[in-house]
Amino acid sequence: MTNRIFRSICLVATAVLLAALALIMTVLYGYFSDVQKEQLAAETRLAAQGVEQNGRAFFDNLNAGDTRITWIAADGEVLYDNKTDETAMENHAEREEIVEALDVGYGESTRYSTTLTRRQMYTAIRLTDGSVIRLSIAQNTFLTLTLGMLQPMALILLATVILALLLASRLSKRIVEPLNQLDLDDPLKNEGYDEIAPLLRRIDAQQKEIRAQRDELKQRRREFDAVTDGMHEGLVLLGARGNILSINRAAQSLLGADSDCVGKHIYVICRAPALQALISDASAGDRGDRVIAMAGREFSFSISPVPVHGEVVGMVLLIVDVTENVDAEKMRREFTANVSHELKTPLQTISGCAELLANGMVKAEDTPQFAGQIYKEAQRMTALIEDIIRLSHLDEGAEDMNRERLDLYTMAVSAVQSLQSEAESAHVQLSLSGESTMIYGIPQLVSVLINNLCDNAIKYNREGGSVAVSVRTEGDAAVLSVADTGIGIPGEDQDRIFERFYRVDKSRSKKVGGTGLGLSIVKHAAKLHGARISLRSTVGEGTTITVRFPAAN
Amino acid sequence: MRLKFDEQLEKLNNELIQMGALCENAIAASAKALLEGDHTLASEVPALSAQIDQKERDIEGMCLKLLLQQQPVARDLRVISAALKMITDMERIGDQSEDIAEIITMANIGATDNVFCIHDMAMATIKMVTDSIDAFVKRDTALAEEVIHYDDVVDEYFDRVKGLLIELLRNPETDGEYALDLLMIAKYFERIGDHATNIAEWVIFSITGARKDEIT
Repeated sequence: MTNRIFRSICLVATAVLLAALALIMTVLYGYFSDVQKEQLAAETRLAAQGVEQNGRAFFDNLNAGDTRITWIAADGEVLYDNKTDETAMENHAEREEIVEALDVGYGESTRYSTTLTRRQMYTAIRLTDGSVIRLSIAQNTFLTLTLGMLQPMALILLATVILALLLASRLSKRIVEPLNQLDLDDPLKNEGYDEIAPLLRRIDAQQKEIRAQRDELKQRRREFDAVTDGMHEGLVLLGARGNILSINRAAQSLLGADSDCVGKHIYVICRAPALQALISDASAGDRGDRVIAMAGREFSFSISPVPVHGEVVGMVLLIVDVTENVDAEKMRREFTANVSHELKTPLQTISGCAELLANGMVKAEDTPQFAGQIYKEAQRMTALIEDIIRLSHLDEGAEDMNRERLDLYTMAVSAVQSLQSEAESAHVQLSLSGESTMIYGIPQLVSVLINNLCDNAIKYNREGGSVAVSVRTEGDAAVLSVADTGIGIPGEDQDRIFERFYRVDKSRSKKVGGTGLGLSIVKHAAKLHGARISLRSTVGEGTTITVRFPAAN
Repeated sequence: MRLKFDEQLEKLNNELIQMGALCENAIAASAKALLEGDHTLASEVPALSAQIDQKERDIEGMCLKLLLQQQPVARDLRVISAALKMITDMERIGDQSEDIAEIITMANIGATDNVFCIHDMAMATIKMVTDSIDAFVKRDTALAEEVIHYDDVVDEYFDRVKGLLIELLRNPETDGEYALDLLMIAKYFERIGDHATNIAEWVIFSITGARKDEIT
């Protein structure tokens, strides 16, 4: 700014200076020439008078200075010259001013003197004797005049430059200062000079526009965040190079990152090789998904490229916790394998016995034993299938069963009664104690639950042992507990006994029978009633299973 | 110009993370093979090691190109030269993981129990490698220093393994080859720990510009 103003001022000053100079010089030059010419003519007349009176003697003590005086005879022969040796000079009869002087008595001309080789002004006067006296003087040319003024001009120019510099810096400061002090947050409140008012108005308009757009963006962002933060699934939006554009709260906690990671590369927060493979696939335009294990849980990472005109401009990564699905899938597979196995074992016995009977290889007296075996195994299969049906019914949520108020104690009484004979044949003392407690539940399921618990307590007991069933109210819970003096459950198996077909002692299961589904049914039935099961067991001393139902109010 | 440079630096960073992840995988696979006697897992390690070697060459080329074309100064220069040093250590981690896997397959070492602390040592070494890569990824000098100090733990484990194996060898019925193989494995873990320490030192250098002897 200062520079440009400085240059402009300098330019203007110099131009004005030069123009003025040119004008003055043109006017002055003509004036100077006229004065010089008149002076020369006067001097010539004086010289002419002198020569007329004194003849050649006039020249003897003449001090003419710069002026050249030449005396030329009528025939053009040079008689005297004060600057050059007259004898060497050529005939001057042809010179313009001489010709004129010879002709009319006075002549003048301005031309280059061949003798002195510069621009000379000549005036010549014819004397009475016909000879001519001529005076000449070097004429000031335009250039000599200008050169003479060079020094003062340079001084003036220097002064101009300094002045321009000062002015320019002051001027630009004056112009810029109000601009620098503008309050851009509130442009219209400024008191600058009028010329910047349109600028301020435009800034104001733009700021309003920017503010509106920013608010809208913020609003959009908030909406987007609100939607994605509410998701249980992790959602990460990635740019084309894999940099994080947006990451929702679930994804942040899954990947152990915070919101600072936005803008960084996804590898910075997760460098699992499977994810790297997914991302390199996605940047090539392929969608994909993989299950990655992290911190003991299984996550499904699904990635989709976002193509625009065939070019991948971003990726969407969805992270879903599939631990339960994976576990459920595993359980289903195991269940199927177990069911097939459990069904196959009695079938094999049945088919073996039946084959022997059919081939007549069994003695008549052994036939009832074989038939009994077939009957027993068929009963076991029926029990197993019934349990499976019950379980799958429970898996569906047992929605067709009606809930009603029931007395847990009454249910326990009927269960204990029905199992009394079984207990006696196993030499186990089965007893019931407690009080009437009301719960809200499905009678069939509660009865199966109590039955299964008591049945297990009798089966896995020792000879002469006891099973104590008690029903009581504890606060707002109806508590059923079944304590036995049986073999107990080792600590490492306690978590697993409620799994389907899980047996603590695989070899014993054959002897005591059972389907391996009893406790699993108990677990499901309790879950449907909102009851909690707790288990306390010591190997060799016995097991106590306690079920806490929410009491009916 | 600078924008392109930044892009290249980010690419370098990502490549380093990928290489680090490969190293983590290699040592994790070797350790798991050792702990569970899983020979198929051990046989996957050489392929990982080859990938690590390839990555090293790629990153090396990338760094040299950056140095030549961009003539980085100050922090950028530190980052690139640290990267050049780090990949050497990562490559060594890959190689030594491969060596461990090779011993497991060649010597037919089954699932070892933890009598010789070798499990703990493997876990400690894996933690060091993971933490050193994490320190690089997160630009975390505190974590890097933690890795440097943690090296003492791994060294201590090595001494303990050695002591236990010496005890074992006093028994004339001991299979000497087994003991020596275990010692070799322990030594490789110890070396991997040293390389992780180096990586951590380079991480600190690339961030602060201070070399290890300047770190208090």
